[in-house]
Amino acid sequence: MKKITGAEIVIQTLINEKVDIIFGYPGGAVLPIYDELFKQKEIRHILVRHEQGAVHAAEGYARSSGKVGVVLVTSGPGATNTVTGLTDAMMDSVPIVCLSGQVPTHMIGNDAFQEADIVGITRPCTKHNYLVKDVTKLASCIHSAFHIAKKGRPGPVLVDIPKDIQTLKTSYLGIKKTKYASVYKPRLKPEGKDIDRIIELLCDSKKPIFYVGGGIVNSGTKASKSLYKLLKYTGFPCTQTLMGLGSFPTSDDQSLGMLGMHGTYEANLAMHQSDLLICVGARFDDRITGKVSGFSPNSKKIHLDIDPSSFNKSIRVDLTVQGDLAVILKILNNEIAKRKISFKKEQYKEWWQKINRWRSKHCLKYKKSEDIIKPQFALERLNFLTKKFNPYFTTEVGQHQMWAAQFLSFNKPKHWMTSGGLGTMGYGLPAAMGVQIAHPKSLVIDVAGEASILMNIQEMSTIKQYRLPVKIFILNNHYMGMVRQWQELLHGNRLSESYMDSLPDFVKLAESFGATGFRIQKPGDVDSLIKEMIKVKGPVICDVIVDPKENCFPMIPSGATHNQMLLGPEDKLEGDVSEEGMVLV
Amino acid sequence: MIESNYKHILSIMVDNEPGVLARVVGLFSGRGYNIESLSVSEVDSDRFLSRITIVTSGTKIVVGQIKAQLKKLIPVHDLIDLTELDTFIGKELILIKLNVKNKPRKNIFDIIAKFGAEILIDNGIELIIQFSGTQIEILKLIKKLRPIGIIEQTRSGLVSMALGTKYIKKG
Repeated sequence: MKKITGAEIVIQTLINEKVDIIFGYPGGAVLPIYDELFKQKEIRHILVRHEQGAVHAAEGYARSSGKVGVVLVTSGPGATNTVTGLTDAMMDSVPIVCLSGQVPTHMIGNDAFQEADIVGITRPCTKHNYLVKDVTKLASCIHSAFHIAKKGRPGPVLVDIPKDIQTLKTSYLGIKKTKYASVYKPRLKPEGKDIDRIIELLCDSKKPIFYVGGGIVNSGTKASKSLYKLLKYTGFPCTQTLMGLGSFPTSDDQSLGMLGMHGTYEANLAMHQSDLLICVGARFDDRITGKVSGFSPNSKKIHLDIDPSSFNKSIRVDLTVQGDLAVILKILNNEIAKRKISFKKEQYKEWWQKINRWRSKHCLKYKKSEDIIKPQFALERLNFLTKKFNPYFTTEVGQHQMWAAQFLSFNKPKHWMTSGGLGTMGYGLPAAMGVQIAHPKSLVIDVAGEASILMNIQEMSTIKQYRLPVKIFILNNHYMGMVRQWQELLHGNRLSESYMDSLPDFVKLAESFGATGFRIQKPGDVDSLIKEMIKVKGPVICDVIVDPKENCFPMIPSGATHNQMLLGPEDKLEGDVSEEGMVLV
Repeated sequence: MIESNYKHILSIMVDNEPGVLARVVGLFSGRGYNIESLSVSEVDSDRFLSRITIVTSGTKIVVGQIKAQLKKLIPVHDLIDLTELDTFIGKELILIKLNVKNKPRKNIFDIIAKFGAEILIDNGIELIIQFSGTQIEILKLIKKLRPIGIIEQTRSGLVSMALGTKYIKKG
């Protein structure tokens, strides 16, 4: 059998894994791989401007396409720069394979130039990682990495490849004959008795609610379709987490919108008062539960998830069902149909009346203004004017992210990319690049804040190079808005270091990268300039000057429960936030 | 309601590969779990498997999390909570070095004989003894020997096993 170099194996394995895009940045320890990349035509390399951008771009690519995102970086700083991105992918369950160069095996441990123990550093922030010390194991490690990244609960996997391994030769048996380096067989099918028990609980409830998370998006389109079928059949209300938005159309009458810290009044109160909570691919995160001891106190709880470590982590549930959601929901739908179970409207009439009363509070209302652009208004108009293009949205992190979650509509899965678990400022711009590369003809919009956008602003250069028509919609309030909001609420309005001084002129910044820049300053100009932004063929930065004082409501203050929401600035905290609440993030 | 902590003995079969212990230990430190004792060695050289025994403690929920998180590690093949099985034993090995210079030897030898410990080296000045037993027995022995003069001691950490074959996963 013909022997090929490790670098050739890297390219061959990627081709066999059907990779057509990789995001990367070259350097000394990956030169042999970049040399092989140069010689082939099947894989397109996107040169980012910072390795963190490479991982976020790969995340955007993966989340919007359902494929594995691939990253290639050099040793030392190249590798350490990926850590934030990998942690982000770990927290939000995004399938990523990150290949990093490493100093040659005989130099490892010598503090060599650009050496970092990246396998040690990324052990807690990857699903798994490998240091390949033997070229004959290279192919099995890379194929294993793809297998682990996408199977079960998805996540990032790093493969560290020393430079000498890249030049040594061995034979490569191909994808089918290469044995995986690790055994990994997560359980995907639920047990039959679990399905019986779910049906029993569904039938017994009077005040049910579906609480749906990102797991359903990860499980794929089939899972979302099955969920839709189940919800339509039962007629139950459904609330979605930040990560779950789009898994069920938020425009549907059964949707109560997002729940949690900045979720809707109706969603949070329905969670609080329900008698049956069906958690589908969510994890009772602290942004959702508020004070754990007061979380949905009177409900039976069912938790469907692929990852058993999410069961009973912070909230005790009555029934846990492990498996792939697409599989569980399909079986559940089939069983319900087979047994001819019907969910009578009268049984839930009172419950819906209650929910509709909560809805009539219109908790997302805000004070309109003719003089100053309210951020909520800008997003409402953005949503309205872009709807027909079926756009993909990414966000950075902060107030704008929460407003985006509240005011955009999400009617399809995989169209909403935001950093939920880690809350990474600087995520949105590179993620939007990745989305645009996966969907070259689609409208891709990064809803940003002026502070977040500066964290990976260097990627404008990548956007220029690949002529990516990403639209960047900055809600510019001159503050790290969410930091300021918390300082107002919890720290006596002492705005320590949260004012963004010395901001760039975003219009000129856009122009310097060959993009188009707009500034929107008056509410009356919002519509026309958004329309113009959509019309531009290339990338656009839209600098929307919004009300600097606006805060994000509704809000569950730290340490409070779902029924202790603040609906607007006129709502005052009842007494001081407890000491326990003060230390919460 | 404050839940009480219970001690658990976890037996974990892992791939004997570089970094596997770091993964297990890192999981405990990273998530704030407690390790009371740990021992590890290869037990199957054909399949490159090592067995790790960890003694930990926590509430029911915490220990449940520890087990679920450990099972998620890719090189972990199997995890058994021995404390959940009917009949299990836990033993530990200790080496103790005693200063016996100018000391009445009969008293020392009586203690050693009573506990069934074994003398490994005796040069008249120092005595190194070996003893294996449960953690309680070991503490009792140490208490008896302390007045004589313990120079140093080293312990293996607990190893444990249960009766029966059902809990052992094949393959």
